[in-house]
Amino acid sequence: MNVKRALILTPLILLALLLQSYFWVPSYEKQSIGNPARLRTYIEGSIADAKILNPILNADGASSRITDFVFDGLLDMDENLNLRGRLATDWSITEKAYLLARPEITLPDGSPATGERLIEVLSRAQASGSLPALDGLLLSLRLLPAEERTETLTLVEPDEQGNPSPTPVAVTIRTPQRVEFTLSRVDQDFFTRLTPLLDAAYFQDFPYAAHITVADAALREKVQPRFPALLPVAEHNPIILFHLRQGVRFHDGHPFDAGDVKFTYEAIMNPRNISPRTSDYEPIKRIDILDPHTVQVTYKRLYSPAINAWTMGILPEHLLNAAAMEKEMTERGLSDAARASFGMRDSQFNRQPLGTGPFRFVEWQGDEFIHLRHNEGYWDRVPEYERYYFRVIPELLTQEVEFKSGAIDAYGVQPHQVARYKQEEAYQSFSSLGFGYSYIGYNHRNPLFADKRVRRALGMAINVDEIITYLLYGEGEQITGPYPRQTEWYNPMIQPLPYDPEGAQRLLEEVGWQRNSEGWLEKDGQVFEFNLITNNGNLIRANIMTIAQDAWKKIGIKCNTQVFEWAVFLQDFVNTGSFDAVVLGWSMGIDPDLYQIFHSSQAGPQQLNFVGYNSPEADELIVRIRQEYDHDQQRALAHRLHQVIADDQPYTFLYVGLATRVLDKKIVLVEREADGRERYEKIYPTKSGSIAFYFNKWRKLELTPDF
Amino acid sequence: MWVFLLRAILQRLVLLVVISMIAFSIVHLAPGEPSEVDPANPRMKPEDIARIRAAFHLDEPLSVQYVYWLRDLATGELKSFKDSQPVLPKIWRRFLNSLPLFICATLIVWSLSFPTGIQAAIQRGSPFDRTTTFVAYAFISIPGFFLSYLAIQWVVDLFNVPIIGMRTFGMENAQPAFRWMDRLWHLVVPSVMSAIAGIAILSRYVRSQMLEVVRQDYVRTARAKGLPEESVIYRHALRNALLPFVTMFGFLLPGLIGGSVIFEQIFAWPGLGRLGYEAILARDFPVILTINFIAAALTLAGTLVSDILYAVVDPRIRLQ
Repeated sequence: MNVKRALILTPLILLALLLQSYFWVPSYEKQSIGNPARLRTYIEGSIADAKILNPILNADGASSRITDFVFDGLLDMDENLNLRGRLATDWSITEKAYLLARPEITLPDGSPATGERLIEVLSRAQASGSLPALDGLLLSLRLLPAEERTETLTLVEPDEQGNPSPTPVAVTIRTPQRVEFTLSRVDQDFFTRLTPLLDAAYFQDFPYAAHITVADAALREKVQPRFPALLPVAEHNPIILFHLRQGVRFHDGHPFDAGDVKFTYEAIMNPRNISPRTSDYEPIKRIDILDPHTVQVTYKRLYSPAINAWTMGILPEHLLNAAAMEKEMTERGLSDAARASFGMRDSQFNRQPLGTGPFRFVEWQGDEFIHLRHNEGYWDRVPEYERYYFRVIPELLTQEVEFKSGAIDAYGVQPHQVARYKQEEAYQSFSSLGFGYSYIGYNHRNPLFADKRVRRALGMAINVDEIITYLLYGEGEQITGPYPRQTEWYNPMIQPLPYDPEGAQRLLEEVGWQRNSEGWLEKDGQVFEFNLITNNGNLIRANIMTIAQDAWKKIGIKCNTQVFEWAVFLQDFVNTGSFDAVVLGWSMGIDPDLYQIFHSSQAGPQQLNFVGYNSPEADELIVRIRQEYDHDQQRALAHRLHQVIADDQPYTFLYVGLATRVLDKKIVLVEREADGRERYEKIYPTKSGSIAFYFNKWRKLELTPDF
Repeated sequence: MWVFLLRAILQRLVLLVVISMIAFSIVHLAPGEPSEVDPANPRMKPEDIARIRAAFHLDEPLSVQYVYWLRDLATGELKSFKDSQPVLPKIWRRFLNSLPLFICATLIVWSLSFPTGIQAAIQRGSPFDRTTTFVAYAFISIPGFFLSYLAIQWVVDLFNVPIIGMRTFGMENAQPAFRWMDRLWHLVVPSVMSAIAGIAILSRYVRSQMLEVVRQDYVRTARAKGLPEESVIYRHALRNALLPFVTMFGFLLPGLIGGSVIFEQIFAWPGLGRLGYEAILARDFPVILTINFIAAALTLAGTLVSDILYAVVDPRIRLQ
């Protein structure tokens, strides 16, 4: 019967056709023998695809991984996490400071503080050496005439629906005469050093009403808090002078110069491009090109971490300037509406980036792979690997399978997998401390946690070692404070809280908490009870909650736990400050600035000091640290701040995770001798634990080397 | 007939608009904002966030946002929040990736279910029937992702070949025949895995249809006439049992969109389902809404196609 035959044959033929393809696919062993190019190819597995390959627009890890290869910054971090020059060969930091003349005020000698008079007094003091603090610091001073300028500020005002929307407002500022000081280094205490000539009152109660006009009078009140920033009586303008590397070319052969640096800055600040990095560059007042290889950056105020922003990749001006954008819009035949809002975000450049970095872009297949090739004309060491693939594999389990079958060379290994790999001969593994830490944060607005002895007792009841051993499989280290452990800002002298439930009990008794008949702690008829919450989807955090709940129960504290979806967690609890305690983590940067997280001014809704930590001493240290340009001073201040925060225990600091990288043992470091011979070395980490720092020297060998 | 068609299409257009409005409000009412609007980023100030929201029109009332979305969709200038790339070409590229997987899985489902189902019906109560029943219920109840993990582990351990993704890396310079076979090989496991549940369900359905038809009077008549059993089953019974399946072709269409999110995720297949899934995670509203819109349009078109097919194959039914 034909029908019957067809019904049975069709599936058989189909399956046979599909399965025979197996014989055409190279198995892993055959692949590496017949395909020497594989040894010079590095394939990295990633959970997420990149979003936008433009260093000024991306904010996700996957995209920055690629843009770090394709673009170079002016600076980057060396093996000790200090800044070093890349596209800039070197740099120097000086300062210009400004002081407003205040004729309505009298100087200590009785004369009015006009510009001319100030110059006279200051020059005399400098010449006579009566202010030794200025020796070597103050290079010159001159008088600037009065001037008038109009600025457009952006306020965030609720619109008719009550949604916050940006509102522009024009402000006219009439600056009186000013004295300009040229300083040899940045000194946040410069104006304090002038105290014998100008007393503290000089810097207070400036009559802004006479100098600032707000176009929309109704908004004057809203702008008022910004007056001191618009017209500061005393102003610091740090200046960074960058000398750029000569002879560097973009991947298309176009030479790199100062114009590209200035263009990159302007592109970030252009509101059309909606860059997430504007805040990093907002402190810049202006950028001047002194010659094609010298750039001078002037800042509006003291903010030492601002220099770190220059580690970001520099864009090629010739491919993204107004003319290039115009050309792209015409080629794509966009409508007028689309042209009106067309910015760098819309450009095809973001899908085929081009920079000066060690790798050049080849191809991007969305959610599949990104392919890069090394840049033979790179100004520094050309990477040993010829090809780099960034493969998107969204499942952790399949990543492991692909790694084991050799189809990827690296991926984000999970703590529980590390133990398995360590037992196998074929792999080498490296652990390095991460830049993030986990903590339990207590809402300081809740009277329950107002006393720091209570917060200390809560911390002492938790056995952090247990968390590290059982939840992280040993892939973590305890921390004592708010800085990443491998940075210099972390104070190694501070001892962690001991695990001591009895001691915790005694501390709580000191504060007045007594066990009641049911075994719960009680004070004034109130049981010690609160809610501990965290976000959904992070198993380790949920488990920390359970461990804490159990530990606190042992000392008589009743803790209820709950898990919320991330958006709800932020919107309803964290941003509004309506929670008791949270388990969360911070991912920290390289700089010592803790302003957003611990300064008391940042405790409002939607701000990051959501626990409401408020310590005048910490506030002062935080501000001094971000205004200090001297590295050693900064370190001393950071150590002090770490001490203050560790004493106050606004959080119970738990641990920093170890990131472990597992690699095939066949991957080695290639060193080249002067006579061109190659020498192989085992891959080693930098002092801060990173192995990727030497990535350009990596290569895979055919056989496993014996070190 | 033409009147029916015209009315059906008009009705569906109205329904499509209603569906898109409902989808629009649900997506916007769900908590969370596009990942570009990131208040947790310590470097972003409220002004920056307000600026980004304004650029995405998120500060406008929902009705206005809906009109913007519809306008941009119609002019083809709708952009993804995530990377500002035009949405339609993006969806089209992913659709082309998903298509082979969908076709292959559908072929496996339909070609395997019929012989299995018919055989099980004919030999009702036999060991074959009992085994297929057991296996079918097992495959329906075991989650597909779990089976897939087992399959991946098994294939990789046993055969040592890569099976994740759409192709093997480093084969750019191989002969075209090898490259095509490599692609075909990468299709095998994911399509078999996504077909398994389909085979289980469809073969059960075929079996019950067949059983029902076999009990009909005309089958008894055919047997009474002395026709050979094969002819009774495959000519008289099967044709009638097939009728309901013709309509199911119409419902295949929407499966193109959401059919394989899980398998695309597990097998790192850069298809349409994953595009939608990633868009939901990133709250990339334009992409979510457009995929949803296309899915709704395809579902409505599918119901229309199956109505028409039914009338074509079954003379007892007339469209009015």
